[in-house]
Amino acid sequence: MERDDQHYVGEKEGAGRKVRWGMVVDLRRCIGCHACSVACKAENDVPVGVYRAWVKYVDKGTYPNVTRHFLPRLCNHCKSPSCVRVCPTKATYKRGDGAVVVDNDKCIGCRSCMTACPYDARFLNAVTKTADKCTFCVHRIEKGLLPACVQSCLGRARIFGDLNDPGSEISLYVGRNPVKQLKPSTGNDPSVFYIGLEEYVEAMRGGVTSIAGTEGALEQKGVI
Amino acid sequence: MGLKRRDFLKIGAVAAAAVALGPKVLKAMEFADGGVTASHVTGAPRVEAVPYTCLQCNVEDGGLAFIENGRVVKLEGNPKHPGNRGKLCAKGNAGTNQLYDPDRVLYPMRRAGRRGEGKWKRITWEEAYQELAARINEVLDRAKAGKGSPNEIALHIGRNRWFGFDNRFMNALGSDTRLNHTSICESSKKIGMQATWGPDIETPDFTNTKYMLIFGGNVYEAGYFHNPYVQRVVEGRVDNHAKLVYFDPRMSNTAGKADEWFPVFPGTDGAVALAMCNVIVSSKLHNEAFINRWTNYPADKLAKYLEQFTPEWAEKVSSVPAKDIKRIAIEFALAAPRCTTYTYRGPAKHFNGAYSERCTMLLNIVTGSIEEKGGYCLPRGVSFKHPQPEPPAPKEKSELAHPREYPLAEHKVSHHVAQMIKEGRQKISVYIRHYYNGCYSNPDAETWREVYLDEKLIPFHVSMDTFMSEATALSDLILPETTYLERFDIENMPSSIETPWVGIRQPVVKPLGECKSYRDIVLELVTKHLDPTGGRGVKKYFDYGTTEDYIKYMAESVPGVKEAGGWAYLKKNGVWSPKPVDAEPEYGLYKKNGFGTKDKKINIYAEEWARHGFNPLPHYEPIPAHEKMKEDDLVLITFKWNVHVQSRTANQKWLAEIIHYNPVWINAKVAEKKGIKTGDLVRITSRIGYMVTKAFVTEGIHPRVVAVSNSFGHTEYGRLASLKLKEKPEWATSDDPEYLHVFWKDKGAHPNFIIPVSTDPIGGSQGWYDTVVTVGKAEPGDRYQDYKVDMEAARKAYEETLRYTYSGPDFRGRAPGAKKDGKKKSA
Repeated sequence: MERDDQHYVGEKEGAGRKVRWGMVVDLRRCIGCHACSVACKAENDVPVGVYRAWVKYVDKGTYPNVTRHFLPRLCNHCKSPSCVRVCPTKATYKRGDGAVVVDNDKCIGCRSCMTACPYDARFLNAVTKTADKCTFCVHRIEKGLLPACVQSCLGRARIFGDLNDPGSEISLYVGRNPVKQLKPSTGNDPSVFYIGLEEYVEAMRGGVTSIAGTEGALEQKGVI
Repeated sequence: MGLKRRDFLKIGAVAAAAVALGPKVLKAMEFADGGVTASHVTGAPRVEAVPYTCLQCNVEDGGLAFIENGRVVKLEGNPKHPGNRGKLCAKGNAGTNQLYDPDRVLYPMRRAGRRGEGKWKRITWEEAYQELAARINEVLDRAKAGKGSPNEIALHIGRNRWFGFDNRFMNALGSDTRLNHTSICESSKKIGMQATWGPDIETPDFTNTKYMLIFGGNVYEAGYFHNPYVQRVVEGRVDNHAKLVYFDPRMSNTAGKADEWFPVFPGTDGAVALAMCNVIVSSKLHNEAFINRWTNYPADKLAKYLEQFTPEWAEKVSSVPAKDIKRIAIEFALAAPRCTTYTYRGPAKHFNGAYSERCTMLLNIVTGSIEEKGGYCLPRGVSFKHPQPEPPAPKEKSELAHPREYPLAEHKVSHHVAQMIKEGRQKISVYIRHYYNGCYSNPDAETWREVYLDEKLIPFHVSMDTFMSEATALSDLILPETTYLERFDIENMPSSIETPWVGIRQPVVKPLGECKSYRDIVLELVTKHLDPTGGRGVKKYFDYGTTEDYIKYMAESVPGVKEAGGWAYLKKNGVWSPKPVDAEPEYGLYKKNGFGTKDKKINIYAEEWARHGFNPLPHYEPIPAHEKMKEDDLVLITFKWNVHVQSRTANQKWLAEIIHYNPVWINAKVAEKKGIKTGDLVRITSRIGYMVTKAFVTEGIHPRVVAVSNSFGHTEYGRLASLKLKEKPEWATSDDPEYLHVFWKDKGAHPNFIIPVSTDPIGGSQGWYDTVVTVGKAEPGDRYQDYKVDMEAARKAYEETLRYTYSGPDFRGRAPGAKKDGKKKSA
């Protein structure tokens, strides 16, 4: 498979301002439908068995007071990414617009970045033999298109745009809603924000992985 | 909220202009939300986009197929489509998996070995047509000579998107044996609704409602119309702060995300709804003026009738607490008219399905939320005209198509057909099967298998199929059919409250191999082989030109389509609607011409039901099998995952990798008592047999209920669905290198073999959720996926269900409540 993600270079300047792409996932709107998981597969030819975008499910409570909670996941495109710091060949780098990408020509598949990522966002692509993960669909955003997962989101739970533009939809959304990042204590400062994350985190405590989450395949966990 | 995301659809043109200016000047809000895409490899825009209508399930969402070098590289939603508004669900996104499945059947084949042995010989279309034409003509000739009937030719279609083309074919042959799948789908819901207000479906105004009361309609994952509706449900809930209350014995995603979930005992939704209606009416929260003006039953009389359905009674029946029934009823009524129910198969797929549907509808009727903003609305649809001439209906009725025991079941009772053929109710000489996996998708599936294997009962079995399904594997002749991405079709689902629409399918790529569409197969068969000279009187009904001409005729028969640019417009845009995607809905549609019933009113009292001895009023009828349940008995229900349909997606890799197996959901407390843990082998025993599967212990299910999805457990359907990854079928022409990455070793176990026939005597619908079972740890010697069916017991279950039909001996004994209304039965 031909891959040339490394060709995505160049900073995005808009009205003299530096762009920082970001995403808000509004968990109130997420229906756990996996349209994002599959749209991303189709968009990016992601091999079977691994995901750049996925949805976690957790069930909480005891019968009949049980609730289900979804957490769509992707690379956080951190402002201070630990994967970039540990890459021995500088294959993983941060673009001027904030997207963290992998140069397949430089990647030696050493998996350091996979270990360093506190968010489990990376995998080794069995086809390219290189580290792989969400690119924010930079090939699409450069053409003025939303990332595939955002485009396909049935609940319109994903809001994508320039965090540095105070008038962008995402900035307005962040301004009007309390947002949270995953594991803020890492200091990585993700560019992916969540609305309603505290409810999911609360559910995780004592909750159980449900059956139909992408990573809920129980046999992968050795349960079945 | 700032701008609503829907508003961005309007600025699509602005975004396109911005693309031309280059991305540097783009702001985030100017991103194009659908309609264009780019290659992840080269970064180049993908310029060739062909619109189509999806058919992974039956919701009929609009899509755009992006093509590179003659190959579909990506599917996205069509932003111009009023239903799905630019979005595809997981299944829709995976459509290329179906198109490019390496195990598609691409050439006509004839059986080489014994039936079901799996040996095939590739033949030409010419040979295939001649064989089929000869078989059909043999019957027609014999019938003409008075030694047989055209009804010996059966056409059994599952997913039917042919808008009367199947009638044209069969009526032209003079056969009434046109069989369908609706009785294993939602037919009792349709029958309940049609008797009440005419149309067979509702359109809840989810976007504008304040209160959604959903009974067994898992809108977050499936149902009519999952993708369009769930978009509006989220808008209603998040943007409009609507409340969602959900009834389902299993914690689906809708249940898990609802404001309140009530695990109702299977088949008792009607009791809950009636008790709620009673609370509303006795609290004087009903809309008396609406009831008196627009229904055929006076409000005071209705109030009196409802008195018997107390919340305390409903609690005993349904296990929903009476205090919650009262509270929810009052909340619902206080939100009126911006309150609506929604149902799908939950209430309907029971012995009492048609009754239950009328009970849940009554909630909207008593609150007067019918056709109000945020209420319970009629479907918005268009209808088509067909090329003339059309053949008349056959004179002789088919017993298989119209079993005499079910006079009200106008969507047929086709899941009985295997037993009926077995008992000799009607002779079959040619059985043409299309898009219908009879021995997988039906209850009592083993009887179907037995009948399909029996060459005396079915002497000639023709499959028009895209895949080697379990049923196709038992046929004699295979005619390879196209997928939905390779053919012309027309659609008009009422999936948008804002506007009706007409959508089309067209070949987005050339059909693979030698596949042909169903319409083309029939057209060529008739005009070139079956009746080339017209002497049989069949050909004249197929004189409409090409399949494209036929579809064009239908499309342009819709007022407004021609003016918009006709067929060319539809081929370019994929969909046409009289109003824009984001139009404000119109309400009160009935005020002009009334409802679609004889007296133009809502029929709380269904006269025709009374004539057949059924209760004409919204009524709760206990399920006979559930009345006899012992302490240890459980009810087995089935369900759909959000990334699968029932029988034809397990072969799709992007969906199968998310979920590919179907352990039985069992309540944690019950499992603990039985010593069952997640992953344990368990034996589920019904009255007709047992199956061995794995357990999934969960808090998310009613303690008296277990649930198994019927999406898995294939023995056929290609290498991936059957997990025979190394056994390349002889007809397969390619390989998918991705199969090397398949990590799962579990394809699931299919439940339909042990589910007996249990049929709603009114709606004719299979009671999928009626099955009484016991569940215990597997017995010594049990292996995963074992199953055993007692064919005699299966037969008895079928015979017993017939006893409850309107002419059956057990029907009168149950004294259905017609008497309670004080009216005499005239049947």
